[in-house]
Amino acid sequence: MSFLELKDVSIGFGPVSNRYEVLQNVNLSIKENEFVAVIGFSGSGKSTLMNLLAGLEKPDKGEVLLRGQPITGPGPELGMMFQNYSLLPWMSVYENIDLAVRSARPEIARSERKDYIMHYISMVKLDHAPDKKPHELSGGMRQRASLARTLCIRPEVLLLDEPLSALDALTRSDLQDEILRIWGEDKKTVVMITNDVDEAVLMTDRIVPLTMGPAATLDTPFEVNMARPRDRYTLNNNQEFIRLKTDITSYMMGLSQEKKKAAAAKVPMPDIAPKDFSLPSKRLGFKNLQAVSPASSSKA
Amino acid sequence: MANKSIDTIKYGLLRIIDVSGFTIFDPVVRLLFGEEPAKQTSKILKYIVIPTIFLFVCIWLWASIAPTHKTKSGQVPTPSQVIETVETNYRQYEREQEKKTAFLTTGSERDAQIKAAKERLKSLEEESKAAQSELTKVEESSLTEIENNLAPFKKEIEAIAAKLKTLTSSAKTEQTALADAIAAGTAKPETLIQAIADFETQKEALTEKRSELNKQLTEAREDPDALKAARLRANAVANEIQHTNSVIDHYEKKNREYQVNELMTKADAAAALASSSKDPKDILKAAKDQVRNTKKIEDVQEREYAPTSTVFWHQIKRSIFTVFVGFVIAAVIAIPIGMMCGLNRIAMACFTPIISIFKPVSPVVWLLIFQIIVGAFFPDPENHPLFVLSSTLPFIQDLGVNPAMVFSACTVAMCAVWPALVNTALAVSSIEQDHLNVARVLKLGFFDRLFKIIIPSSLPLVFAGLRISLGVGWMVLIAAEALSSSDGLGKFVWDEYQNGSSFSFANIIMACFIVGIIGFFLDRLMICLQRLVSFDEDGATV
Amino acid sequence: MKNTLFKSSLLALAGLSTLSAEQLDIEKDELKLGFIKLTDCAPLVIAKEKGFFDEEGLSVEVIAQPNWKQLLDNVINGELDGAHMLSGQPLAATIGFGTKAHIVTAYTLDLNGNGITVSNAVWEQMQENDPKLAVDQPPHPITADSLVPVVEGKLSEGEKLQMGMVFPVSTHNYEIRYWLASAGIHPGMYTSQDIKGFTDAQVELSVTPPPQMPATLESGNISGYCVGEPWNQQAVSKGIGVPVTTNYDIWKNNPEKVFGVTKQWSEENPETHTAVVKALIRAGKWLDATDESGAFLNREEACRLLSKPNYVGADYDVLKNSMTGHFFFQRSDKREMPEFNVFFKDHASYPWYSDGIWFLTQMRRWGQITEAKPASWYHETAKSVYLPDVYKAAAKHLLEEGHITESDIPWDSDGYKTATSDFIDGISYDAKKPISYINSHKIGLKDPAELDNQ
Repeated sequence: MSFLELKDVSIGFGPVSNRYEVLQNVNLSIKENEFVAVIGFSGSGKSTLMNLLAGLEKPDKGEVLLRGQPITGPGPELGMMFQNYSLLPWMSVYENIDLAVRSARPEIARSERKDYIMHYISMVKLDHAPDKKPHELSGGMRQRASLARTLCIRPEVLLLDEPLSALDALTRSDLQDEILRIWGEDKKTVVMITNDVDEAVLMTDRIVPLTMGPAATLDTPFEVNMARPRDRYTLNNNQEFIRLKTDITSYMMGLSQEKKKAAAAKVPMPDIAPKDFSLPSKRLGFKNLQAVSPASSSKA
Repeated sequence: MANKSIDTIKYGLLRIIDVSGFTIFDPVVRLLFGEEPAKQTSKILKYIVIPTIFLFVCIWLWASIAPTHKTKSGQVPTPSQVIETVETNYRQYEREQEKKTAFLTTGSERDAQIKAAKERLKSLEEESKAAQSELTKVEESSLTEIENNLAPFKKEIEAIAAKLKTLTSSAKTEQTALADAIAAGTAKPETLIQAIADFETQKEALTEKRSELNKQLTEAREDPDALKAARLRANAVANEIQHTNSVIDHYEKKNREYQVNELMTKADAAAALASSSKDPKDILKAAKDQVRNTKKIEDVQEREYAPTSTVFWHQIKRSIFTVFVGFVIAAVIAIPIGMMCGLNRIAMACFTPIISIFKPVSPVVWLLIFQIIVGAFFPDPENHPLFVLSSTLPFIQDLGVNPAMVFSACTVAMCAVWPALVNTALAVSSIEQDHLNVARVLKLGFFDRLFKIIIPSSLPLVFAGLRISLGVGWMVLIAAEALSSSDGLGKFVWDEYQNGSSFSFANIIMACFIVGIIGFFLDRLMICLQRLVSFDEDGATV
Repeated sequence: MKNTLFKSSLLALAGLSTLSAEQLDIEKDELKLGFIKLTDCAPLVIAKEKGFFDEEGLSVEVIAQPNWKQLLDNVINGELDGAHMLSGQPLAATIGFGTKAHIVTAYTLDLNGNGITVSNAVWEQMQENDPKLAVDQPPHPITADSLVPVVEGKLSEGEKLQMGMVFPVSTHNYEIRYWLASAGIHPGMYTSQDIKGFTDAQVELSVTPPPQMPATLESGNISGYCVGEPWNQQAVSKGIGVPVTTNYDIWKNNPEKVFGVTKQWSEENPETHTAVVKALIRAGKWLDATDESGAFLNREEACRLLSKPNYVGADYDVLKNSMTGHFFFQRSDKREMPEFNVFFKDHASYPWYSDGIWFLTQMRRWGQITEAKPASWYHETAKSVYLPDVYKAAAKHLLEEGHITESDIPWDSDGYKTATSDFIDGISYDAKKPISYINSHKIGLKDPAELDNQ
């Protein structure tokens, strides 16, 4: 029986006259304690998929189920780790985690809270920097802090939205190991979004490719049947690893080619700036004010 | 160890400089601590020395151009004249203080002071005599000088008048002769017309020249500089005498203790009368008087020195206070409404038309409107609780809170509210979606969301708005004070403009600098606050 | 023993003041009085600076106001206790022309003190029209006759000569109108629709605050103005205009400014009002004090005080001209004008009903009062505004205290000055017959003659 499930899910944005279907008929079923990667090109709707899983967006059609129950909204059981850390910049690492613990785990008594928080801080190896503000931290440290915040609420599902894409290669592999270690210690259902095939193969149990948008959907998953722990240094010689990598890469390249052909055949579509979708509040309401607002000058 | 503490001082200083926004002093501090001397020196040269030289060039330009630009309404003051007026104003302030002390002095100290003041007066009077006789001398010599200067012009004007006369009479005879000739048929009418036209041109030329000469004549009547200087000197001494007299007055009959003593003597007399007189009417009257006198004595004992309304320091203090009152009102209105608008699109839609319509309205209009509205709230300003209260608070009591101040502050608030409101709304509405998503994932309650996420995240932009508000408020206040005659820097400028004395222009320029400098510091203050609340290194830049 | 002796001798000394004169029981001892920066605010300034207010137990602040309208508003809303006002202001406010409020006055601050200044260009044209004027010291009075061609010239170009005055109900407005009309130039009528007073105007008169007059003249927006001192002398000293006449020539010893308070204030603070008037009378007398030769004793000191920036603030030398009895008509034309400012002598400070009625007749003449009124209305209105009783009460105290003499005050007057024809056009003014006076002018509204008997 599946733990987390997407059933015929479709979602799109924009008015009827200019509808942009992001996802169409998406089906996915994830078992408990499974580590799944969703791989896709930028702009194909990966983040929207994640938002659906986190309950931040509602599907137009179909349903998203957790243990067979539809997800009604975001909550601590669905631990989302955002792409760009989204630590609150006016709070220190400790305070950021504290805020999460207070609101999501109110049952932890005041006296125990500090130990609890410090436990997670040391879990992500930030013991030396609990009082640092996010802007004083490197990208990797920020992501660790973000991870600690997500973990501390003890979610049933961990949703990682391109957690490592903003990092340099070295920090990245370091953090990959870290995530795998934590996952190994404390088994959880994990859905990770990534655009890095190596990363996906290295870390996960199953890789689900997302086709090119618009109206993207999930294609047949690739099972990763490699024993754990996987050693990144010997992996490059692992036949299974090489095969999977090649398969997935060529599949993805094929998608890209198709898309290009389709685009060439069609009249070019108007540019409708999909990045706007992530920030609906910016899109609505303040256009007029902004024009006369002195705020622009305040940034001078 | 020592190194470390020096570093602490150094970085502490650099931090202060950074927060206060005086980053141009950064290289100075670094140089003092011996950090990369060559680099710092070049920075100092570029960003401190050259701008300073430029500033001096500007002042030099001003100093050299000002005396050449003379209008009929006055002469543009030079920098040194402006500095002189600063001294004059300060002296005036000192004189007020002196009078105040005189008013409050008691006992033998008072007698000693009177004696000293009278001696001062004596020497001043001698000085004045000398200045006066000097003035008379200069006046006489300049009179003859002016007359001498005028003589050639007068002569010329007379000559022109004579020419005009002869021209007119000869033209007249010529024209009559011609007319006769035409009548007799010996001349053509065109000749006559030509003659008249010629006469008119000649006459016009002469009158033009005369009016030109008249202008020069008026200019030549201008008093020579020596006379002006002598007058200034004589006036200065005379003013000092006047002031000394007034100080003596304040030690004597205007003195508080003196007044109390006077009243006590009267009261004693009345009391004595009451006890000695047999006439019941007298007794009644004396008793009444006694009660009155006691009350009066109490009143006088409590009486404060009534200051002259134009004391520059007082006006600066009052203006700054007023602008802060207005600013606080504006902030208290703008921030909650701005937050509401930022959080709720319906609220935004409700407020947008109001903001759009009222934002561009001129402060002058608001002033007039508030003058009427606010006036209605204070039918009896003397006894209104607000003003009674303000007259008991420390610091504020000296400022003289009155309806004029209230509506000036309201005008400031009305004009300052918009930048703060719009910026707050913008700040709240443009909070990063990620931060809001965090709140959703953590299921934060409304207040947690407001205080933990919305307010901290919007603070830098809110403060940027407040900074603009304070700047706008300060500009508006000066105009409002000028118009409403609410005591303050604006009124000072307006009064000086109305005075139209030979110092007025310099005073206005001085006030211009003071307004500018205070505005600058207010802005700096807001920058500091803005930097203190901003969570990002690059979140809020100057 | 010693003590009683001391007391009884004191008694003898103090007896006079405590017994004979009822001590004033002041209701309010801290006052704010408003003024406009003009030399005729002098009595207020002098009463403060020379301590006359203090001697009455009053602590007074004297505050400059930006313009006449605001001054009046501040008096009405209680921000000020009283103020230096145009003679027409209390009357106009009481009858409701402009802001309506019952304002009263018990003290006339001064007589005369205004001048009409024209720009240099207009003066040159006037000189051309009348060669008698083209000398250093032209004969006075200068009428507006030589201005007529200038006005007509402008009209033929389709323009109207623009001149400035300080307030619709100010003395200046009526004086410049009088001066123009006496030469047949129509200065325009007020009607209920035309509150600017431009109807039928050959010369348009607009309101400009006094201190801005010279600047406005220089900028060419107006070609002349009628204003109080020091703004005429300022024009001479800056060389931007020529004062052609003073109101002394238009109407000898005409009333100029008054000290106005609201009726309510006067009723609530009767003793304070009396005390203020006492101090003002003393200030007026001080200002007009002369030595045996007739030279002013205190005017120079007064000028010094007035030249302080918080009072009039103009240069001492400019103020001194008119205040010490000289007037510069041009730089070349300095004349003795001992009566240019009269503050006290010849009962100048007494609140005459006849003065009030003159202003009312002018308001009617130029249409500011839109309906014909019977003579009785003029008398009643003047009597409701002018309060000689307060003046006399104050004077009585002063007489008993020995500050003034019996002859300083017209004790038995009925409040009407005797009929006079000291006007530039020689028309006689008898306050008892306001309607016939209105009708005696060539230009202006006329009322049915029988109203004079109603």
